[in-house]
Amino acid sequence: MSHIIEFDQVWKIFGAGESETIALQNVDLTVETGEFVSIIGPSGCGKSTLLRLIADLLPPSKGDIRVNGKTPRQARLDRDYGMVFQAPTLYEWRTVLKNVELPLEVMRSAREDKRGRAVKMLDLVGLSDFQNHYPRQLSGGMQQRVSIARALVFEPTLILMDEPFGALDEFTRERLNLELLDIWAETHKTVIFVTHSISEAVFLSSRVVVMTPRPGKIARIIDIDLSYPRNFETRESDRFFELVTEVRETLKEEFTRGEIDD
Amino acid sequence: MVNSEWLTGMTRGSAGNVDSRRWQASILPPLLVFVVVLAVWELGVRIFQPPTFLLPAPSEISRTFFANFTELWTYGFNTFREAVAGFALGCGLGILVAIVVARSEVLSSVLLPFAVASNSVPIVAMAPLAIVWFGIDEGSKIAIVAVMCFFPTMVSMVRGLRTPSPAQVSLMRSYAANEWQIFRKLRWPAAMPFLFNAFKICATLSMIGAIVAEFFGGSVKFLGVYIKTEANILRTQNAWAAIIVACILGLSFYFAIVLLERKLMPWFTEEN
Repeated sequence: MSHIIEFDQVWKIFGAGESETIALQNVDLTVETGEFVSIIGPSGCGKSTLLRLIADLLPPSKGDIRVNGKTPRQARLDRDYGMVFQAPTLYEWRTVLKNVELPLEVMRSAREDKRGRAVKMLDLVGLSDFQNHYPRQLSGGMQQRVSIARALVFEPTLILMDEPFGALDEFTRERLNLELLDIWAETHKTVIFVTHSISEAVFLSSRVVVMTPRPGKIARIIDIDLSYPRNFETRESDRFFELVTEVRETLKEEFTRGEIDD
Repeated sequence: MVNSEWLTGMTRGSAGNVDSRRWQASILPPLLVFVVVLAVWELGVRIFQPPTFLLPAPSEISRTFFANFTELWTYGFNTFREAVAGFALGCGLGILVAIVVARSEVLSSVLLPFAVASNSVPIVAMAPLAIVWFGIDEGSKIAIVAVMCFFPTMVSMVRGLRTPSPAQVSLMRSYAANEWQIFRKLRWPAAMPFLFNAFKICATLSMIGAIVAEFFGGSVKFLGVYIKTEANILRTQNAWAAIIVACILGLSFYFAIVLLERKLMPWFTEEN
């Protein structure tokens, strides 16, 4: 196993002077290839910021970040990661198939190759029958599936997911959690998953990174020792409950500590 | 691997039947009103018998329309050509300027208020000046139409090019897309609905602009000059017949753009 992500004393500060906000404070984090790591914390704790630093959509203020052993910028230019946003962020003028082909178009893949890979990915997320639909004709859950297919289609080693199921109802969310684990098992990607749902984080991850409220620091990293493959029964197991409680306790501690600090 | 049965039936309906029924519902009432208005007009003229130059009957206008058919349509197309040329010039320049302006936050915020304000400037009032600058012939008319089309196109296009959400742009950045790709694959298609809205407004404006600009002078072989001359010598049924030609051309221009819009943007519906 090798380090796919390394954070070495990383800070992210927005604004300056009076309006200065410390989004991330001295973050150290190492993720191994093939892991499924969730980042959880109260809103405004900088978990999305952390993801955007990996994606080179924001620069760090201090500290060093390595993605696949490279600078985040180089990793982005090498198309090392696929990103899934909170909103499906589909291009409404493109059909489902064309949306999935988009990254390949930008990366100038060969035409027939493009079509074939997009079809395969849609098959993987169970949307083969909807290739020629437009995004507005799909439900929210289906749209998010398309965006997952789009993130996978160019076969990046790393998948970054920013609260991808946050806007969905509980049933759809649990369903997509299972599908995501299937896809993860099948594709052997490394996944960094930002969420504010404790049970989602525990259910999906091999490790859960718990963050403190602003300024965002890593409070604790909790190993999730539930065996894969996980299923509906996993959610009902005692160990699952223990781990959920552990994460919740850590969040609660940090939350009350934050309040006293203020 | 992923079970998709539970998905079926979840897509929102696309029904051709509903479409044609809606079409009928939107076409029939105005058509009915149109026929009623014509009937009342005709009846009124027959009963009260005003002098023809004040208000000719629809039957009289249609007789004139067919009697002077070739003449009217020749003039009509002369004017139409001005309108289309001005439209192409104005909209084209509007798009080009918008592409430059939309790239800069500062430029957009400085220029847009002026462009929006220009909507309330009666540009046809500048027609006499345009004649001084571009001559009495087509040039001055095309210039007026072009100016009229320029501003709405530019304003819409700037807005359109700036509609993509930050996430939609971030997505492109995550693919290491270059500026041209972000423009070509995101900003341009996102701006299409805005552009076609502007086109529809400009199609109507361009016919109005060309005819009104012609009122200030020019060859009699153009619709505006013809309407003015015929009205001056009280042959108003000829003026009315010319107005019908102008209506048909203006509406055709408008609907050609609507058709093009539907063809090019099947993904776009009124609900958006």
